[in-house]
Amino acid sequence: MKRVRWIAIGLLGLVFLGALGASFIAPASYEKQFREDPDHPPSRQYPLGTDDLGRDRLSRLLYGMRISLLLAPAAALIATLLAAIIGGAGAYAGGMWDQFTRAFIDLFLSLPWLFLLLTVRAVLPLNIPAVASVAITFVLLGTLGWAASARVVSAAVREMRNSEFVLQARAAGCGRWRLLFAHVLPNVRPILLAQFWISVPLFILTEANLGMLGLGVTEPLPSWGNLLRELENYSAFASSPWLWAPLVSLFVVVSLFQFALGEGEYA
Amino acid sequence: MQEALLSISISADYSGKPGVLRDLRLEMAPGEILGLVGESGSGKSTLALSILRLLDLKGGKTSGSVRLNGRELMELSEAEMRAIRGRDIGLVLQSPMSSLNPALKIGTQMHEAWRAHRPGSRKECTPRFLDLLRSLNLDVDEKFLKRKPAQLSVGQAQRVLIAIAVLHKPPLLLADECTSALDLITQKEVLNIFRQLSQEMGTGILFISHDLLAVSSLCHRIAILRHGELVEVGPTHEILSRPVHPYTRELVSALPVLNALTIDSSI
Amino acid sequence: MIRLAHAIYGLLVFLLALPLWSQSGGELHFTIKSDPKTTNPLLVEDDSSEIVRYLTGGVLIRVNRKTQENQPELATSWKVTENGRRITFKLRQGIQFSDGSPFTSDDVVATITALMDPKLHSSTGDAFRAGSGKVLAQTQGKYAATVLFPQPIAGLERLFDQVAISPARMAGKADASTVLGPFMVTEQKAGEYVLLRRNPHYWKKDSAGHALPYLDAVRLYIMQNRDTELLRFRRGDIDVINNLSPDLYEQLHAQDASAARDLGPSAESEELWFNQVARSPLPEYKKAWFRSENFRRAISMSINRADLARVAFRGHATPSVGLLSPANKFWFDQSLKPQGYDPKGALELLQQDGFHKDGEVLKDKAGNAVVFSLITNSGNKPRERMGSLMQQDLAQIGIKLNFVPLDFPSIIERITRTFDYEACMLGLTNVDLDPDGQMNVWLSSSDLHQWNPAQKTPETPWEKNIDKLMHAQASTLDRNKRRAEFDKVQEIVAAENPMLYLVDKNALVAVSSRVKGADPVVLTPQTFWNVEYLSLNRN
Repeated sequence: MKRVRWIAIGLLGLVFLGALGASFIAPASYEKQFREDPDHPPSRQYPLGTDDLGRDRLSRLLYGMRISLLLAPAAALIATLLAAIIGGAGAYAGGMWDQFTRAFIDLFLSLPWLFLLLTVRAVLPLNIPAVASVAITFVLLGTLGWAASARVVSAAVREMRNSEFVLQARAAGCGRWRLLFAHVLPNVRPILLAQFWISVPLFILTEANLGMLGLGVTEPLPSWGNLLRELENYSAFASSPWLWAPLVSLFVVVSLFQFALGEGEYA
Repeated sequence: MQEALLSISISADYSGKPGVLRDLRLEMAPGEILGLVGESGSGKSTLALSILRLLDLKGGKTSGSVRLNGRELMELSEAEMRAIRGRDIGLVLQSPMSSLNPALKIGTQMHEAWRAHRPGSRKECTPRFLDLLRSLNLDVDEKFLKRKPAQLSVGQAQRVLIAIAVLHKPPLLLADECTSALDLITQKEVLNIFRQLSQEMGTGILFISHDLLAVSSLCHRIAILRHGELVEVGPTHEILSRPVHPYTRELVSALPVLNALTIDSSI
Repeated sequence: MIRLAHAIYGLLVFLLALPLWSQSGGELHFTIKSDPKTTNPLLVEDDSSEIVRYLTGGVLIRVNRKTQENQPELATSWKVTENGRRITFKLRQGIQFSDGSPFTSDDVVATITALMDPKLHSSTGDAFRAGSGKVLAQTQGKYAATVLFPQPIAGLERLFDQVAISPARMAGKADASTVLGPFMVTEQKAGEYVLLRRNPHYWKKDSAGHALPYLDAVRLYIMQNRDTELLRFRRGDIDVINNLSPDLYEQLHAQDASAARDLGPSAESEELWFNQVARSPLPEYKKAWFRSENFRRAISMSINRADLARVAFRGHATPSVGLLSPANKFWFDQSLKPQGYDPKGALELLQQDGFHKDGEVLKDKAGNAVVFSLITNSGNKPRERMGSLMQQDLAQIGIKLNFVPLDFPSIIERITRTFDYEACMLGLTNVDLDPDGQMNVWLSSSDLHQWNPAQKTPETPWEKNIDKLMHAQASTLDRNKRRAEFDKVQEIVAAENPMLYLVDKNALVAVSSRVKGADPVVLTPQTFWNVEYLSLNRN
């Protein structure tokens, strides 16, 4: 099954090259409005058709992938690390610490984040460079998106703390820290990986919703999320299958990642 | 009797459940196999954890005195205690499958147990570990160490666990219900291993079980535990032939083929 | 034999039923967005309640939604006297409420007295409150009534279109079950529907003398999702849809071209304005841009309105000419010319103010690059498209437009309290055709004077001028003189561009082929303004 992995890595490489080299491959600029051809079906000039403003969909997809592929995994990494540190350490320390972190996670999950995001938007100037807005968005996603994962990690670590193999390791003279790194972490790793992979597409989509609050990747920059949001108009795409391209490509890329980086079991 | 290997006098409580062990006094000679028999919930496992001072993992507290070769364990610091665990006292738990860390290869687990007390690379401990396994009737090579617990049979796993427990030739081995999860043939093999350890390495074994049948076939002496108190202690043949306490009598009379077994144990 | 008998019997039933069919027109279905908040016609504020009031309320004077003229209803005639302070109605005789009780001048006086009672807090009543002082309503015999106002009210008659007369005994706490209109509310299921049945005592008859309305009932489904609404229209559960979005219209048009109707420009427009508030937290140089008449005009010239209409609204909008849409037949200033798309001219105009191109970037006299943000409410697709289109239009003259859709409460916060914004784009619906209804937008002292609200004294000469003209038209009775004054307002606004009018949205509706007598118009309630004359032909 090693081969599957190599094929996945190869394909991913191609995807990354495509995203990075968007400016060379893309048939047009992502923001150029061909106003005579809005909602154009695929043609030689527009391989994936055009959007409602006459912008080339393929070019927007390539540029959108570049932004989202770079930033969503980065945000997911931040979120997963925070989840591992906060959820894992609390549950491992046990007792009062465990209760404290559990309460903290629950509190964090129940906070009305909409208000925080609105405040962030209110504090930020309206004229903000696109790059800064994109960076802020993904830092926000990373630092706010850890709690759900932390809850999963903390439950797993708590269960492990009471498991026989941990007792066995302690009885063999293993110290507390050594136990954490050598025995507990390897068991949490698949959970962290899973949380990471759940977070990536989630963040890509959440980014699009932040657009509603004036955050996120702003016009005319494309992102995978705002390309997907266009699909909300569900009735249109039965007759126009090329509109599925962002969804299909997201699915393919996420699965490729899973094959390429997945646990030994799959590969 | 020679100078005691282990001499205990302890009580143990759990929060919300006091008096799980009540002033339990017990002595073991070096190389002796002592069977501790009692029904489930009588405090047998608590005793094993109390000796290792790991009862806090289950939310309990131990008080009293535990002397190992004359050294008071209850007064040691956690770091000193850690050095005792695995090197001077080994532990083998009931279920071999859940006592091995599912995420780690056998070799890694072995090395973890090794490096807890001795510096040095895997190369040093591998031959010793393989020798141990061979002496436990598990003739395997280095490839075996690359396996994960899920790829082992129960009998193999129990041997691995015992080998890890006696890696540092501890003078005392605590075996907590370590045969009850096994089929009859494997159980018989494991009992032979303990007998062999006691004879060849002079290991003292505290053999904890609810199974009087298995205990009487292996142990030199038997202690009967009931509701946290010792009700009767004595050499195996005395306990079997002239039980004093009514509870002991009940236990003995429940044995189906007493004669056959007494003959077997005398061989 | 039996089969033949069946056939004859069937034919007989059919023939017997035929005359009934032509008279009773079945149950018309359409949707409202939420439960009506009230059925008391005097307390109406939300759209759903207003629809119920339109279908059930009998009014003295109706603004005909097609001709846009006042037409007699419960009042057969009326007269405005005392320089616009008094209106006297002659009432229709011998007609009855839906419960059979007679309609007299007592009902009119009681309804108007209740309406003007300050304790009722009626927003319909607010429209009549031109100044302090009491409104006096009196009967003049059984079939005439007169109302005296403390101050004259311009275009007074049209306001009675909103006043549904209820029985005197229910004054102030009336509901929509005892009414003078074509339908009465008989059943309401929260979150599901409102059922209105035909008023058996309705006074109107068609030209052939048949009792109106033709329909037996009207059922209003409560439904927010407009995709679902269209889906159910396609399934035949719903007979008409008002105010379709351009996207849904296109969808329907592709599937059933005859049901989709584009009625041309409506009274709803889209506009943007620059923040001219002196105490706003903007840097001084930006305030100077936005207060410059040339700057505002140049921006207006560099927006390609034809593209906005064609691309953002898929062709279902019309470039705006000025503050009124041509849909407003009487008040629209015919002499106004549409603002053409002229980026070159815009640059020349900007150069007069010392702006200059530095490479691709437009800079002001002091060398500040021209960058500004445009906020709008998120979730409105055509509006978001307009933002992107204008972004590219302005980029062509070197201006960077940051387009920021925000949630609605944040928009309101910024444009009414903090004034922390540079430009804002929103839509405006002119419910009231009369310019008197726009007083609160044009007076510089008003809170709704969006670009620079609540000025103590007019900050610019042209705003002072508008104030004067608006007051003048309000105290004139002669409609043509009023029109001349309001034409001047329209011309000043076109010259000064405090608001940049972008497009007038076309009225887009769906009418099922089953609906007979449909004659949709651009004014609300578009498809069912003539509900008495509608009938259904269900197969």
